[in-house]
Amino acid sequence: MIDINEVSYTYHVTDAEGNDVYRNVLKDFSLKINKGELVVLTGGSGCGKTTIIRLINGLIPNYFDGELKGEVTVAGMIVNKQPVYETAAKVGTVFQNPKNQFFNVDTTSELAFAAENRGTEPEEIIKRIDKVCDRMDLLDLMDRSMFNLSGGEKQRIACASIAVTDPDVVVLDEPTSNLDDKGINDLREILKRWKRQGKTIVIAEHRLYFLKELADKVYVLDDGKVAKELSGKEFDSLSLEETALLKIRAVDDSFKKKFGDEELSALLKTKGAIDVKDLDFKYSDGVHGIKISDMALPKNSLIAIVGNNGRGKSTFARCLCGLNKKAKGKVDFEGKEISINKMTDRCFMVMQDVNHQLFTESVKDEIMLSIDSKDEETCEKKAKEAMEVLDISSLSELHPMSLSGGQKQRVAIACAIASDKDIIILDEPTSGLDYYHMIEVAEVLKKLVKLGKTVVVITHDTELIDECAQCVVKLKKYLI
Amino acid sequence: MDVSIQTFKTSGERALLDPRTSIFAIVVIGVVMVGGSLTGIEYVLRVISCMIPAALLYAVKKYKVATIYFLIMLFIMIIEGTAVQSTVGALNLLFVILSGVVSRFIPQFMMGYCFMCYTKVSEFVVSMERMHVPSVITIPLSVMFRFFPTIAEENRCVIEAMKMRRTGTKKPSLLQKMEYELVPVMMQTVRISDELSQAAMTKGMGLNRKRSHICKVGFRAIDYLMLILLGTILVLFIIY
Amino acid sequence: MDNKKNSLTVKDCINIGVFAALYIVIFFVTSFIGYIPIMMAILGVACAVTCGIPLMLFFSKSHVFGMVSIMGAIMGIFMILMGRPWYCIFVALAAGVAADCVLKNGNYKSINKAVIASGVFSLWMMGMEVPLYFGARDTFIESIKEGYGEAYAEVIVKITPNWMFYATIVLTFVGGILGGLLGKAVLKKHFKKAGMA
Repeated sequence: MIDINEVSYTYHVTDAEGNDVYRNVLKDFSLKINKGELVVLTGGSGCGKTTIIRLINGLIPNYFDGELKGEVTVAGMIVNKQPVYETAAKVGTVFQNPKNQFFNVDTTSELAFAAENRGTEPEEIIKRIDKVCDRMDLLDLMDRSMFNLSGGEKQRIACASIAVTDPDVVVLDEPTSNLDDKGINDLREILKRWKRQGKTIVIAEHRLYFLKELADKVYVLDDGKVAKELSGKEFDSLSLEETALLKIRAVDDSFKKKFGDEELSALLKTKGAIDVKDLDFKYSDGVHGIKISDMALPKNSLIAIVGNNGRGKSTFARCLCGLNKKAKGKVDFEGKEISINKMTDRCFMVMQDVNHQLFTESVKDEIMLSIDSKDEETCEKKAKEAMEVLDISSLSELHPMSLSGGQKQRVAIACAIASDKDIIILDEPTSGLDYYHMIEVAEVLKKLVKLGKTVVVITHDTELIDECAQCVVKLKKYLI
Repeated sequence: MDVSIQTFKTSGERALLDPRTSIFAIVVIGVVMVGGSLTGIEYVLRVISCMIPAALLYAVKKYKVATIYFLIMLFIMIIEGTAVQSTVGALNLLFVILSGVVSRFIPQFMMGYCFMCYTKVSEFVVSMERMHVPSVITIPLSVMFRFFPTIAEENRCVIEAMKMRRTGTKKPSLLQKMEYELVPVMMQTVRISDELSQAAMTKGMGLNRKRSHICKVGFRAIDYLMLILLGTILVLFIIY
Repeated sequence: MDNKKNSLTVKDCINIGVFAALYIVIFFVTSFIGYIPIMMAILGVACAVTCGIPLMLFFSKSHVFGMVSIMGAIMGIFMILMGRPWYCIFVALAAGVAADCVLKNGNYKSINKAVIASGVFSLWMMGMEVPLYFGARDTFIESIKEGYGEAYAEVIVKITPNWMFYATIVLTFVGGILGGLLGKAVLKKHFKKAGMA
């Protein structure tokens, strides 16, 4: 079905000084995928898995600048010698970021979009949408604005829009990066159905546990080469130790450690508490929201906040930071009672999309910006300290936006340290990170606790929780 | 109701007005509101025109916005009908300017807002194609449509992030503030545009390809009513 | 980015749309901040300055003749939708094509040509000013008298003698250049360093 035959690819990009840079990703790479197989490509960032996806759907060489050698054949078409829209008839693509892959504002039009581009008869399109809608249980998502959907719902629509054109091959590029547990489960169900239908599926992904018992073949890539090839059975039985050794995320997603209420109360006793009281917030629908009469979070520890609903978790984070103007409540902190809207002075949030919170032209300036002091020398000193803690001193003069995702996140955390705020909240810090970077984040979080900060991590990443959390708070019971 | 009927077929609501009617409405309201005088029949035409968006907003169940808009415009129209007529000199100038800022710019803006509320991107594209606009214009226009709310969303995130970084001692200057707000939004714009292009291409979008449409566009009774109303306003406006 | 293809692509069209949206939002924010009808004459200058920033980024993304022209056309369509006179679209289109020519002259690579193009492009706003001057002037003043009252018309007459039109063109052009320079600085300070332009 898919035949990548001795392909070499080099990206052409421009660096900070405006010079052309050639970045070789694949060299004489070959891969054969049979019809009806579900193949997983995994490995650290920059291992070439996304490049392979782009080769299959034709974005290379049609969209990206670079040098391509070799031939890619998909369903009998030589993909690298035809326009993308020809390939699109046979290959459907799901992208990493659910919010940026829609051309329409409403869901129904988006479902029809790909079929419309091919000039399919309107009656036929409507018939197919109806069928897909029935099968994938999308009734509640029809005719809604994209801007009111959660990440998981958007990704379901993305998959459904592909199902409407019914291609033989589906490729997915890190589809779970921005999804919560429920979204991932839904995606798994969709993959199952596609597999039953005999579609050929290729997934480039860090997160692996949801692919258990689905994958037929798993390729662990490293530096543009297949480092290890696993059959579906071998993949399913990988233990935590084995995945750690392969430097990939866990296949087995059960907790190693046990997190109960005892740990929480023990921590509360020894460390003292930050008490969130009478927190009350309702979404604009007036029904759903968050209501917390009393939630005690142990001070100076690493708290993981879990809960199925992605929206509720992020909303809670925004409330606690005082960014949610409509939320009411107060926080007991070191004997003082602070209105929740004033918590901005005490909390620093590292957002899921760190791109939003980097403003200046160099890492150093970025950190200096958040230091509450007029004295240049103190600022410099504090910034230097913060950079040392996070091991980013060497990046000091670089533009924050030129850094990798993990480095950007470190810069944001450094800002949090430099700002001298007591509570640091991280919203899904490991979404879309590979094994190596996930471990790095865990180490950084541990350091923060050592510095005396209270760290609140909003996450559903069991590996991260296992690696560093001291207690777990379930948000579910507070959601209405 | 039968379960099978509950699917897309019946939920696929059409826009309140045909996009072409809506565009015509924006143009007429704009012409009348910008150029109309404050006396005689033109005043009456202005009052009628500026109330069209309010009525449409009610029709699409945006009660809150509609009421606020209605009250503001009512107030402004009363001022233009009374205070402006009965004063002279500097006071008159003040009234003219204050009411003018609202009455000469907000109504067509609101009409545009209405249009964006009830028209789908796909409907808009179809009606543009019916008017024989080439796809190199329709594609950018439809992207714009989709992108306004995105800019608002991105901007909100950036402002929130800024708030968290605000320190008591450092106050950024206006220019700095602009830079801090604008640059991240622009960066996101570039990124989103890139991802959107990739997604559109893999969904088979190409320039000058024949497309089909599932949405129905065409004039209905309400369009003809609206067109007659707007046509009358325009004709009267030009004659007087 | 240099592209092998010398025709417009889907990506280009999407870029146009995205930047047009950003441009219009910034245009509106600026005009709301500085808006008093009397300021009509100098409104263009303020907008030209702020809008120059995203415009320069857009120029850095355009590599083929047509992108900037289409942007101009879209500005014109937009003006018509806002109730401006019909000839606005031609003024805007002309400004877009002219700016495109300037860019082409610099092979879509020269940043200094882009700054000049920013000045040229900002002249699309002139369509709004035309009724204030020339033959249309008397009818326009008359309509202002009717529309806004005597006192307002007098002020308008006072601040807009005929030479003012040329002055406005020059001012807007200069505003566009200033915006272009500002945009160039932002590009250099942020986007180049971030490897995004």
